[in-house]
Amino acid sequence: MNSDLLFVGLIVGVGTWAMRYLPTRIDVSSIKPGSPVSRFLDATGPAAIAALCVASFLPLIEADVKALAMLAAGLAGTYLGFRLGRDISIASIGGALGYGLAFWLL
Amino acid sequence: MSTLSSPDSFRSGARASLGVTLGYFPVGIAFGIAAARAGFSPLEAGFLSAVIYAGASQFLVIALMGTGAPLIVTALSIMATNLRHVLYAPAILEKARERAATRHAWGWAGWLSDGAFGAAIIALNRSRAHFSERFMFGVGVGPYFSWLAGTVAGAVFSGAVSGYPVLDAALGFLMPALFLAMLLALVSRRTLGVVAVTILAAVPLTLFVSTTVGIVGGMVAGALSSLVDWKGGNR
Repeated sequence: MNSDLLFVGLIVGVGTWAMRYLPTRIDVSSIKPGSPVSRFLDATGPAAIAALCVASFLPLIEADVKALAMLAAGLAGTYLGFRLGRDISIASIGGALGYGLAFWLL
Repeated sequence: MSTLSSPDSFRSGARASLGVTLGYFPVGIAFGIAAARAGFSPLEAGFLSAVIYAGASQFLVIALMGTGAPLIVTALSIMATNLRHVLYAPAILEKARERAATRHAWGWAGWLSDGAFGAAIIALNRSRAHFSERFMFGVGVGPYFSWLAGTVAGAVFSGAVSGYPVLDAALGFLMPALFLAMLLALVSRRTLGVVAVTILAAVPLTLFVSTTVGIVGGMVAGALSSLVDWKGGNR
């Protein structure tokens, strides 16, 4: 294996693990429910997912009818999958099917 | 829905992240293909997925390796893309409240990818009775091994998949669809303001600064907005 890759992989891997693990050492039991820190952490979940949504959808928006139609089909497939199945896996597969179908048809 | 296993069991955790497990496999394939095209062997691609386990960072590794930049600078700049992960475990422990436990967090917290975090938060939003360390291991195990298996499969069979552009397009939409589905599961009247502020902040930051700044900046702005009393009831 390439030694440069081994070095970078290990540094990034250990760093990422530390970023995920070390914050668990914070004692959250001292945070009062309803306090600003509690509300901030509570809002982190929806905020993180919304930000990741923006990052993953922005590159798909192009000034091109075909690209926009595929995006619309993917969004519709995701929404329909979620409404019908109430499940994120069914919704994701519905979105991919819609997007792939539009790609094939257009 | 009735179930034979308790809500905080390992199995319950694995079930909570099943969508992520299914979604990570094709995205792992996409990474494996990209790694193979960049000249990495299946072993090297699998190594990156096994030790880093963070999609965006791994794509950056294959893009930046060999550019001539000092290795430590490359490594640190790639790590910066994962800064958002710092808030994941505290957010989960805050949701778990009195059930919070961290004895084995060195294990389950390492598996807190974006998808696993989203799955855990959705489950804990329904009930904090889900939280236990074995539940968190259950949440993490499927997506991790699915990502790893997808990576190796993609690197080994890279030539075969690239012959099907429809499949390629559909696989490419799985990750955005997964995040959108998670957002649909998390949006409620209570969280609508946070989501709106996050999007309003993340879009310009992503467009005019960078994706990393867009994600972290949008996330922090959205979470901070939860501190604002929008109805002015306390004034």
